[in-house]
Amino acid sequence: MDILLLIRDIASIALLAVGVLFVLAGAIGVIRLPDFYTRIHAAGVTDTLGAELIVFALMLQAGFTLLAAKLLLVGFILFLTSPTATHAVANAAHRAGLNPLLSRHQPPHPRDTETGEKS
Amino acid sequence: MTEFDWTQLLDYALMGMLLAVGIAIVRLRNLFAAVMLAGVYSLISAAWFVTLDAVDVAFTEAAVGAGISTVLMLAAMLLTAREAEPVKAIRHWAALIVVSVAGAALFYAVGDMPVYGDPNSPANAYVGMDYITSTPNDIAIPNVVTAVLASYRGFDTFGEVVVIFAAGLGVMLLLGLNPGKKTGGEE
Amino acid sequence: MMEWANLGAVLAMALAMAIMLGRLFAGPSLYDRVLAANSFGTKTVLLLLIFSLLVGRADGVDIALLYALINFIATIAILKFFRFRSLEISLAQMSLRRAIDGDDD
Repeated sequence: MDILLLIRDIASIALLAVGVLFVLAGAIGVIRLPDFYTRIHAAGVTDTLGAELIVFALMLQAGFTLLAAKLLLVGFILFLTSPTATHAVANAAHRAGLNPLLSRHQPPHPRDTETGEKS
Repeated sequence: MTEFDWTQLLDYALMGMLLAVGIAIVRLRNLFAAVMLAGVYSLISAAWFVTLDAVDVAFTEAAVGAGISTVLMLAAMLLTAREAEPVKAIRHWAALIVVSVAGAALFYAVGDMPVYGDPNSPANAYVGMDYITSTPNDIAIPNVVTAVLASYRGFDTFGEVVVIFAAGLGVMLLLGLNPGKKTGGEE
Repeated sequence: MMEWANLGAVLAMALAMAIMLGRLFAGPSLYDRVLAANSFGTKTVLLLLIFSLLVGRADGVDIALLYALINFIATIAILKFFRFRSLEISLAQMSLRRAIDGDDD
């Protein structure tokens, strides 16, 4: 049984480390990225995945008790509501007229070229 | 040297965030940002109450302060402008002096308080010990806080409920929140 | 060994929360701030979960569950408020206004 507990501990620590790494990367992304729609990518995706990994790591630690059932419930709720809230914010921003940041380089339109290359 | 309690670092981090959010609420003029930051302040307070082992208070703070209060303040913002008006510099300095004097007085008073969790302090020794020893016999529920609030000091709770009900009634009467008489209700 | 891992995770989560506050202070549009507040709430839920397992007191999980729900509802309420300027309108009125605006969801 001791080797099983060791495996459980190692798996829990590994999942916790990866989950926390995702959450930190998402937080750094939200400050550093240039535009609102890019920040939505950072916050929405990494929050959900990092949250699920952390909840699985904690469920491994808690064993087969009521605490693990409550953790599973929190994980399920975060899995449903976090992407929905992200979509709602992005949708509301687009409806309100917030435009994405387009690049300053504009390639020439085909109708502006000299030779008549029409297909 | 005694062993360093590493969870103190979490306390310091949460209090540092509280300080930063408090300063930002005072300095920002965009009202929407101030309302969102007030909600975040309540949320950090709720997390801090959990680290202080006061779970009931944290529950109430998370539900009321971070959720409902933010939405109600936003609905109130509907009636006003989006930006706060600028305040003259002399009022800033006067407010800072008043807050510093009151804060210094509070810090001085904290030095006289008993040690955190001391079993011989007046709050824990006389009536508190009485409540803890007689709750299993008289009331037979496991949570002593609920027993004190609902049974031993039930009239206090009753008074609070009456006050909140009167306040809600007063607000509704003053603002005229009657959904039947909105625009276009009467031809 | 698990205590040190949990402690490290708690401190890293507090660092992520502090970093997210930067976007709340600075965000130029209000949708930046709504995004930052929602993400901050999710990170606080995770902090409460890890902290409950660190100290061994299982009540923090209840608070995390409560706040996970309230965070979502508050975000949607704020967005509804900014779209329709009121919290009192019903579902039928909302779809009527969306149809008038030419919304093609």
